[in-house]
Amino acid sequence: MNRNIVETAGNRLALSNLEKALYPAVGFTKAQVLEYYRRIAPFILPHLRDRALTLKRYPDGVEKGFFFEKRCPSHHPSWVQTADVLRDDGEQMNVCLVNDQATLLWVANLASLELHVPMARTGSPDTPDAMVFDLDPGVPADILDCARLALTIRDLLSRLGLVAFVKTSGQKGLHLYVPLNRPETTFEDTKEFSRAVAVILQKNYPDLVTAKMAKDQRPGRIFINWSQNDAKLTTVCAYSLRAREEPVVSFPLGWGELEALANRGDARKFRINPGEAVERAEKDGDLFRELLVKEQKLPHL
Amino acid sequence: MALQGIWSGTISFSLVAIPVQLVRAVAPGRISFHLLHSTDYAPLARRMYCPQQEELVPPEEIIRGYELAPDHYLPITNEELESVSPERSRTIEIIDFIDMAEVDPVYYDRPYYLVPLKGGEKSYRLLAEVMRQTNRAGLARFVLAEREYLVAVKSTQGALTLITLHYSEEVLPVAVPVAGESAAGGKDRIKGSIEKMMTEFDPGKYADSRRAKILALLKTKAEETGPVTAPQTAEEAEGPPDLMAALEEAIRDLKENR
Repeated sequence: MNRNIVETAGNRLALSNLEKALYPAVGFTKAQVLEYYRRIAPFILPHLRDRALTLKRYPDGVEKGFFFEKRCPSHHPSWVQTADVLRDDGEQMNVCLVNDQATLLWVANLASLELHVPMARTGSPDTPDAMVFDLDPGVPADILDCARLALTIRDLLSRLGLVAFVKTSGQKGLHLYVPLNRPETTFEDTKEFSRAVAVILQKNYPDLVTAKMAKDQRPGRIFINWSQNDAKLTTVCAYSLRAREEPVVSFPLGWGELEALANRGDARKFRINPGEAVERAEKDGDLFRELLVKEQKLPHL
Repeated sequence: MALQGIWSGTISFSLVAIPVQLVRAVAPGRISFHLLHSTDYAPLARRMYCPQQEELVPPEEIIRGYELAPDHYLPITNEELESVSPERSRTIEIIDFIDMAEVDPVYYDRPYYLVPLKGGEKSYRLLAEVMRQTNRAGLARFVLAEREYLVAVKSTQGALTLITLHYSEEVLPVAVPVAGESAAGGKDRIKGSIEKMMTEFDPGKYADSRRAKILALLKTKAEETGPVTAPQTAEEAEGPPDLMAALEEAIRDLKENR
């Protein structure tokens, strides 16, 4: 095993197997994964900060098996920040907090291509600071249908006085986020509200939308998954890589751009690769930054 | 399966520091059941009820109060509680060594295994061996799950175990008057009976027979009758009336003005 020791902000980190192709179909190596996360660090770190990381590790690349890891691996370097969270069964679990670039690179070096985080921070585990809608198209519906639905949800929410943000999931769909950032919000609120939105859309657009998880409900429809508004569940972080055949980033889009893409009708244009992600983030800044600060109250609850 | 640690740090005394991980030594063997509504098999939820106003109380209206006297409470906020929560321990610092035989089992709370981490194996084995030979246990203060415990670190089958101990104020006084005369005579008979029934302690011999019977019952029932299914109402259920009305109105407006 080849090892390279790097130093980042004074922390020593041993990197291994840099030449290994983690995306063999396109020869995207671990070194390139690490380079992506190094460059995207200023944009992704605020979204990972103080959240219990779920690692999704692909030690032998995306074509081989993966495993989820919720516990922070016990062999973590001493400078990795961790937190104890309480599990359902009342036991404590020690989780990694990706609060600095060194930890981000350490996690990437574990071949955790995908970084998944909950809607709440570990310091306030019962307070979601955003509400999420995961728009998941059932074939033959595609990301263009998702984009049109996302625009409908945006307009619906804006009539209730709520601002929303959107990113590609990096897979087939879109993730729509509503910033809340208020200490009194509970998961019961976000779940109830998001479910009501999903139900009302299903009722009004029954051919396009389903709020039901059951797979047989989904062909040709978009499943509005509201159930991720749950303390126990996670969503892939903005700017995380996804483990598909090719490296694709879950990338924030502006509403204007989403509208243009929906009109242009080319589903492939939604695929943002790591190089493009870095270039666009460095040029346009973090389109999701307001998600972390904008305070909004869910009405009519 | 690798043991999952619930804490890692070092165990230390004088100049020794051994990196270790804490893992559970016992898993609750209890079989748990969900509570269902007998008419539709929906899992039941707990709600807080205010008998005074005869209504359900939402979470944001729930606070903690310490009962000073009947109907007299001292309200305590989460922040106040947090301010007195101890810092998470990084080390298990042994402050005294004791003879484990002196600790009555009534003080035992929960057992854990201490597993050596990389680089600590040799000193770990040495400490475990010496503690076994001398039957000594180390006492330490240790914070787990925001509570500070007094813990005993002892040697069991070549491994170090950690037992959280009850504080003396948690242990209730002996409930039986122990002073006084015992029955005259018969002492030898009882001694004899005990001797006859003496055996080596073999925990494997004593299985939880109720647990085994419940599991057998569940298996039979699963094969014979199969499960009942909870209704899928959670997804169909409408939201709060106000919100549903506002959403309906917004969607009407949206359809008209697009």
